This record gives sequence, C-alpha cells and structure tokens, in this order.
Amino acid sequence: MLLLPRMSSNLARLLLLLLFAFSICDAVALPGPISDRHRSAALELFAPQHGSFASLEESYEALRIFEILAVREKPDVRATTCPKVLENLVSSTPLKDLFYALKVNGILKCKVNGDIFKDIASRLKATVKDAKTLVDLYYSIGSLLLIKDQASDVDVLLADADGTFHSIKALSQSDGKWRYTDKPESSTYAAGLALEALAGVITLASSEIDQSRVNLVKNDILKLFDSIEKYDDGTFYFDEKLVGGHEHQGSISTTSSVVRGVFAFAAVTSGKINLPGDKILGLAKFFLGIGIPGDAKDLFNQIESLALLESNRISIPLILSLPASVYSLSNKDKLKVRVNTVLGSAAPPLTVKLVRAFSTVAKDSAVIQNKDLKYDQNSGHHVLDVLPDEVDVGIYVFVFEMVLHDADGEKVYATGGQIHVPIYVTGIVKVSNAEIAVLDNDLGSIETQKTLDLAGNDIVSLSANHLQKFRFSFQLTTPRGHAFKPHQAFLKLKHETKYEHIFVVGNAGKKFEIVLDFLGLVEKFYYLSGRYDIELTVGDAVMENSFLRPLGHLELDLPEAPTSKAPRLPPLAVDPYTRYGPKAEITHLFRTPEKRPPTQLSLIFLSLTLLPLIGFLVGLLRLGVNLRNFPSSAAPATYAILFHLGIAAVLVLYVLFWLKLDLFTTLKTTALLGVFLLFVGHRILSHLATTSAKLKSA
Amino acid sequence: MSKKLIVLFLGLVPLLCTCFSPDTPSDRRVLVLLDDFAIKSSHSIFFNNLKSRGFDLDFKLADDPTISLQRYGQYLYDALILFSPTIERFGGSIDAAAILDFVDSGHDLIVAANGNASDLIREIATECGVDFDEDSSALVIDHSGYAVSATEGDHTLIASDDFIKSDVILGSEKIKAPVLFQGIGHSLNPSNSLVLKVLSASPSAYSANPKSKLTSPPSLTGTSMSLVSVVQARNNARILISGSLSMFSNRFFRSDVQKAGSPTKHDKSGNEQFVTELSKWVFHERGHLKAVNVKHHKVGEVDEPAIYRINDDLEYSVEIYEWSGKTWEPYVANDVQVQFYMMSPYVLKTLSTDNKGYYFTAFKVPDVYGVFQFKVEYERLGYTSLSLSKQIPVRPFRHNEYERFIPAAYPYYGAAFSMMAGFFIFTAVHLYHK
Repeated sequence: MLLLPRMSSNLARLLLLLLFAFSICDAVALPGPISDRHRSAALELFAPQHGSFASLEESYEALRIFEILAVREKPDVRATTCPKVLENLVSSTPLKDLFYALKVNGILKCKVNGDIFKDIASRLKATVKDAKTLVDLYYSIGSLLLIKDQASDVDVLLADADGTFHSIKALSQSDGKWRYTDKPESSTYAAGLALEALAGVITLASSEIDQSRVNLVKNDILKLFDSIEKYDDGTFYFDEKLVGGHEHQGSISTTSSVVRGVFAFAAVTSGKINLPGDKILGLAKFFLGIGIPGDAKDLFNQIESLALLESNRISIPLILSLPASVYSLSNKDKLKVRVNTVLGSAAPPLTVKLVRAFSTVAKDSAVIQNKDLKYDQNSGHHVLDVLPDEVDVGIYVFVFEMVLHDADGEKVYATGGQIHVPIYVTGIVKVSNAEIAVLDNDLGSIETQKTLDLAGNDIVSLSANHLQKFRFSFQLTTPRGHAFKPHQAFLKLKHETKYEHIFVVGNAGKKFEIVLDFLGLVEKFYYLSGRYDIELTVGDAVMENSFLRPLGHLELDLPEAPTSKAPRLPPLAVDPYTRYGPKAEITHLFRTPEKRPPTQLSLIFLSLTLLPLIGFLVGLLRLGVNLRNFPSSAAPATYAILFHLGIAAVLVLYVLFWLKLDLFTTLKTTALLGVFLLFVGHRILSHLATTSAKLKSA
Repeated sequence: MSKKLIVLFLGLVPLLCTCFSPDTPSDRRVLVLLDDFAIKSSHSIFFNNLKSRGFDLDFKLADDPTISLQRYGQYLYDALILFSPTIERFGGSIDAAAILDFVDSGHDLIVAANGNASDLIREIATECGVDFDEDSSALVIDHSGYAVSATEGDHTLIASDDFIKSDVILGSEKIKAPVLFQGIGHSLNPSNSLVLKVLSASPSAYSANPKSKLTSPPSLTGTSMSLVSVVQARNNARILISGSLSMFSNRFFRSDVQKAGSPTKHDKSGNEQFVTELSKWVFHERGHLKAVNVKHHKVGEVDEPAIYRINDDLEYSVEIYEWSGKTWEPYVANDVQVQFYMMSPYVLKTLSTDNKGYYFTAFKVPDVYGVFQFKVEYERLGYTSLSLSKQIPVRPFRHNEYERFIPAAYPYYGAAFSMMAGFFIFTAVHLYHK
C-alpha cells in the first residue's frame, strides 16, 4: 500500500521523460547533440546582473559553461568577479565558498599572492584530517586539488592519504551508495561526491594508494551502476530517493554528480573500469533528452556532464541523429544521418549502415536491407541517395548501425548497436473517380449521379427523401500506385441548425465508398429536413495533400417526427459572441393625456357663461333700479355696509379657496364670517323689517 | 521586552495575511503542483514570467504528502496551477472536491493535461464544464493545420490560430504567430454557459489515437473541439484548462513555427504571448471590474431622494474601474446599460460615458408606481460580471400635485363667478330697491 504513491510518481516521471523524448512506436526519434540553441540559452540563463553573478558558485557555473560551449559573446565579468575571489581566498571563509573561489580563479586566473595559497592549503590539510562529513572532505580535497593546479610551488600533498582514503571509503554502503555522515541514510548523489573526493585523494597522495583499495572502489562503482534506472528507449539515469537532512537532488543533478565522480576516478586510476558502453551511451541520451533546461543549475549539470562524457576514458558515446525524420517522396528528399559526439564535434571515421527498414504495418518484410550510407565530406552527413521503389508513403522504422573504421574504436567509443528510428515517408496521394449519387431505395437505380473533381472546387447540389440512398465514392492511390488508407476519411453532413453527423468512409482496396440509407438514419438525423452541407475530410500523416473540402449540399426531405417520440434535440453550444453584448434599449410608453377642447373654444364658452350676468345687469338698469331704501341713519347704514362687506368677504374667501386655501382654513374663516354676518345681517334685516312695517302701518 | 515582541507580532499579523480581497483582486501566492521537478526547469519561462509579475510560486510534487490548500479554515494560496497531468491521487489532504471548494471560494486554477491525463484531472475538468476525450490514447490530430516539423511526422503537433476574439482575454495585441499545441482535445458542456473556448481546433482536426485505425467516427472533430478553454465562475473565480502541458514549455515557447500550407515561417511561436496574456486574465490582471459611487437623483438636485414620483426626471450615474494588476484604471466602454426594473425592465438605457470611467444617463420615471430597482447587469465576454441593484419606490401624484386652472374648465369657473357676482348685486338690489 505504501508503495503505491511511490510507484505512481515513478510512472509519472517515466511518462514525462518519454514525452521529452517524443516516443513513437517502438523506435524513438533521437535527440541531436548540443547546438547553438544551448549557447543562446546559456547566455540567457547566465546573464550577469550589474556586471557580476549572484554568487561565486554561479560565476563558476557560468564561466565553465561558456568555456565548454566556446561561447564567443560571453559577458566579461573578470573585473567584478576577481575582487570577490580575492575576498573569499582567506583561510577563514566557509569551505564551500573557498572551493568555488578557487574554481573561478582556475578559469579567470586572477592575480593571487602565492602566500595566500600556502595559508589556505595548510588550513585545508588540517580540515581533511579532522573532517567527519563527506561534504567537508569533498570541498577541502577539491580545493587542495585546485590549489595544486593554480600554484605549483605550494605543497598540497596529503601525508596520510591512506587514512583519508579510508575515512571516505568508510562511509560507503554495500550497494555502492555513500553516506554523508555516520548516519545511516545513503545517497547516490553522495556517491558521486565521494568518488570525486577519492579521485582527489589519489592525485594528492604523497605515496601510492594501495591498489586493492582502489579496486574495492571500482567494485563500488559497478554496484552503483547496478542501481541505475532505465527507460525503454535505452536511456539510463540515476535517481535519488528522498533522504532526510539533505536537500533533495533531482535526477539531473544526481546523475551529473555520479558522472563527475566516476569519470574523475577513472581518470586518475590505472586500468579500465568495466562499465558497459550502452550505459554510458544511455547517460548521454539522458542528458541530451532533457533538451534545453530552463534552470541554470540544470543546464550547468547537463553541459558539464556531457563535456565529461565527451572526453572520458571509459567509452565515448557517439550520437546518431537525423536532421529530419520526415521524408517527402515528391521532393525526392535524401535520407541524411549525422554522427557526432555529444558536444557536436566530428566522430571518428565510420560507416553508417542501414541494417534494414520495415513498415510499421508489415513488421516482418523489410523494404531495405543492408545498405551502406555514403559519407558526404562537405556537409558531414551520411547520405542515402535514393529511397528504393519499395518505399511507398507510410511510416517506417529504419535500423541503423555504426561501423567504426578503426577496429580498436569499439573499445573507445560507445555506438549503441542497432538504432531504431521512425521515418515518415510522405507523398502526394492521387485522388480520383469521385462520384456522388442519389439512389432509389428499392431498385437501387440511380436517380441522379454526378462526378466530381476533388482537386478542383466543383460543388454539387442534390435532393433526396427518406426513401432514397446517398452514395459517395472516390479512389486513393499512392505515388507508387498502391492502395492507400488514410487515417482520416470523414464525410460530414451538417444541417442548417448546426447539427453535424460524421461518417467514416470505408474502403475496399483503392476504392472508398459510403452509402447512407436515409430510412435508417431518420432518427439519427432528429427528423430534421432541410439543407445539409456535405464536407469531405481526407488526411493522413504521410499524405502531403490532406484536404478538407465542401462537396456541396443535399436537400433532404425527411418525414415528420411521430408525436409519440418526438426527437429531443441535444443542446447546441451557444455562440459566446451573441450571448453577451448589449440588449436593445427600452423606453417607457407614457399614458397619453386625455383629449381636451382647444383653448379658444373654452374661452368662447367662458364668454357665453358671462352673458346671463350681463343680461341681468342690463335688465336691472332697464327696470330702473334704485337704492333709495338704503338706511339713512348712521347706525343701520354702517350695519348695511358691514353686511355687504361680509357677503363680499365670503365670496372672496370662495375665490381664495379656489386659488390657494385649503378646506380647513376656509371653513374656519367662513365660520367667523358667518357669525359676523349673522349679527350684522340680523341688525340690518330687522331694521329693514321695522322700517317696512312702519310704512305699512302708516 | 516580551511585551514589545507581542506588540510587534500583533502589528505584523495583518501584513502576513495577504488574502484575496475584492479591493485588490490580485492573487499573490500560487501553489504549483508538478508530476516531476523537471517541469519546473522545462517550463521555467512561464514560471519566471509569473514570478516577475509578482507572484509567489510554491512548487510541490503532486504526491507530496505535506501539501494542503488550507489550514485552520484559511486558504494558504490564492491560486493553484496543476501541472501534474498524470497524477492519480494527490498527496496530503487535497482531492478533487478540495480543489473545487478552492475554486468555489473564489480562487483561480490552471489545469494542464496531456496525452496521459489521469482520471483525477479529467474529473476536475468535467466539474468545470470541460469534457476531455474519453479515449485515453487519443490525441488531437490535424492533417491540414499541423506545425511543419522535420522531426514530428504524426501531425499531433498542431499550429493553431483560431483564437477567441476578445481583447480582454488575450490582450489588445494580436497574437503574432500560431500557437503550438500537442495534447488532448475537449468539448464544452453545452449546458454550461460559463465556459469559453479560447483556442479552437481547426475544421479538419479530430481527436483519435494516431497509431490505430479509425473504425467509428471520433467523438471530437472540427471546430466544436476545443484545445484551450477558460471558465469564469459566478463568483469571478477563473479557470484555465489546456489539453496540452507542453504548450507552456520552454521548448514550445522558443520553437519556430510554420503552419502547414502557409508560406510564412515565424521565428517564435505564439505560445509565450498567448500563455502570458491568458495567465494575466486568469490571475485577474485584466478584465476584473468594480463599480463604485452608484448615484441617482432628480434633475437639478444633488441628494438621493427616498422616493420618486411618477414622471420625475432623474439622473443616474456609476463609476466603473478595471483592475490592471497594480491599480484600478477607469474602464472605457460604450455598452453599459441601466435598467429601471419592476418585474421586468420599464426603462433600459445605454449609459453615456466621459471615457474616464464615469457613466451617466437621465430619463423620466415611468407613470407606473411601485417598488422599482436601478439595475446594472453588465456581462461581457471575459469581464467579471457587474450586478448592481438599488431599490427605490415610485409614488403617484399627490392630490395637490395635479394640474390646476385647466383651460377646458374656464366655462365652469366663469359660470360660478358670474353667479357669485350676480348674487352680490342681487342682495343689494333686493334689500334697498324701492
């Protein structure tokens, strides 16, 4: 149960790396050697900021990469980096910084006083004696080694080399891995460090190291290589399981560490380490398969490891690569193969042999067998001039083999035996005899038949009903005159409402034919009558003239859907452009005001309503109205005037009520006026009544 | 001393919590789940680009048992990038439901699949309205729109240039070159209206296993197949789903591209531009709107009334801003609309703008009374949706607000007043005539 996540992770990595290497069938397209792309990537990843790199470690990595790749336009960091180196070249600096300062100095050759080296060397020697951890030993021995190269007069030889050798060896594990400290966790990455340190001890030893001990370490190396991991395509690499306490190293840095250690060790020991050439080649494939890493550290590890592989003593991998794996019959391309070392320099004289080539469809019958490729001195390619007539369009696997001219070369170089490469041979497929017809169902008699030139742009328009059949046929022929079955041969019927129906066109030999019996398709077509656009798509990886072309349209008359099982149309995708967007504006329709007579008419009627008043006044005048009855004495006259003023006030109050007053104010005022009117009215009316009574009695 | 420390710590607490907030809708902390740390290096341009835009990326292996999205109910990240197409089961407490909860709480997600996409990744995609081809060995093949390459002969490396026409999603600058794509296709769930096709397949593309012969029609063909899709959820969380992980890789970013049948060869594929612009959209650096200062008042007044009367003339204004990744910039458009709404819109009017983010209009309140709403429902392709509503009652005329002195009534007025004048004269005449 616990194993499961681990396994899935490994599987994931495996699949991912396969993706890196573009696995195709059983053969794999080969990654080429280091190219200019790596150079530009190096310049991009190792770009100094403000004239210098962030750390000495990075400076070293950058300078080393520029050196290996022979980058011409490398940035000049000497002026800024040398002071940093000198700053760190004191005996009190941490070991790691000291180590990288010396490494940078090895490349830049800054002016360093010889005494400084002496100081440091004596401190380092002391450290080597007391060091308990592998990392300390690694850095101090590495630094001593660097001092040896940079200042020949300084004594760096280890007095007790055997003891140091033993203390490093004591950290090794039975499976070839190493421990960082006394703690039991072992690591492959540490093994690389240990081997490099051991190589350093051998170089620095004042007396020869016991050969039996060296052989023990050689055995450790072989054991370490037993734990190497492998992909199906012959790629080998080391991977690190998670170890507590130390930074987790990815497969690139782990593999790179082992490569550094093993080759450093191989370089200083006499006698060969018996590592199989295919594993060395597998390591080279691993580093090349990464492509261009986007991480500076990874790029450094990749390039440095490849540089070591390029010049190692065990066996030098040769990389066979193809500039192109797609060959066009119509362009009469030549098959070219290039053989290089991993860094892209020329391989020793050799012949590339095409052992055999077979189609992926018919794996047993080879189309080409045992052919030597011609070496073209100018381009550096091995060329197969003409593909034989048996090679038609299709996917093939070519099997190559490198034969070194120098018989001893097999010992120096790793060629990897037979190399399988997938090759796509493309060509123009002839499309002919296209026919499109509508047939009567019962008799099979042809109602309408039209021929089409599929290379042209002709378009047909047909009509059919559900009792008829639709037939479409065409022929495909390869350039060599064989039948050709493309991967994609689709006939698409597309209704006006965007419902699509796709049919695969099957073949019998060269002839492709599809018959659509509409009676059986009515339900599939959702009973949708109307115009269907017909589209044909023919395509294949090896067909250079793959095409998608409209054939025309078909007016289809299908029966109405029976109500019991009305077809439920699947939802169509909504067009996002129409779904969003502004809506139509809405303005409110206000109620229209009631119709009114024109103002003039109202004015005329207004004047008409005034007529009775005028008539009344005229009538009064005509009757000879007088006011002689108005009281003559002072008091009644005052009452009379007040009474009429009161009436006038009430009338004015009505006008005011109409104009602005509200009902309550009006009523209050009316009440007051009423009391007043009652009083004065009573006085004047009683006065008038007594006056008239007096008159009558008199 | 310890007191000082506590004060200092308490002072730092708000600084440490840089959570997602509507005021600054910027995702800053991103969890990147990988199948293998090699992806960190092989896709470094994409990651470095995000870092240079201020994102804090936390790389973890997808099966790392220590990963978790939240702690004590607080989300630790603002966005998640799943570059682990083959993962069958996440480590730690993360599962498909946890990721969907993460999105449901408004966080963003980028999912990249490839030919080996696991059921888990497919399940997450399905929940987002994206159905990857069920055939696990199927890849998108296009024999007419493939990228010309001397080393890739099976036409699964596609140069696609059928982009969504939206400046907000893909930036105002046209994508200069076709985008390289190698992976699996998907279809969009037609019932999901939130998911959009950003990169469609060409009409000749189909999804099938390139190594086996086809006997039945493939389930995904033509332009209905999507290569890259985005989702904008109702809570404005954004999701990017791509059928190709290598689309984000340095190799594709740097690769030259020539589409089959096209004579032009571009030195650089459009991937970098496409992916960068798309990631800007996903991480809300574009297309995130906010509306502030929603105001309405009667013409000639300044204060917002508690109630409107029918037939009032009113003015409505709102300010809309778009988040640019750093600041709120005025949003410029000419299609913002306001509705005066009660059960259905009575007035729907496009707002005028001063091109500085200020939108305004004026209209007359309809002669229907009731409780209305000012509604701005702004939904545009790629933008977060704005949904503003403000309730306001509308009353009819009061008794004294009707029209007075109607000309048509003059005869009545005249009759009454002539009557009153006659009465006054009559009283005098009647009393004192002799």
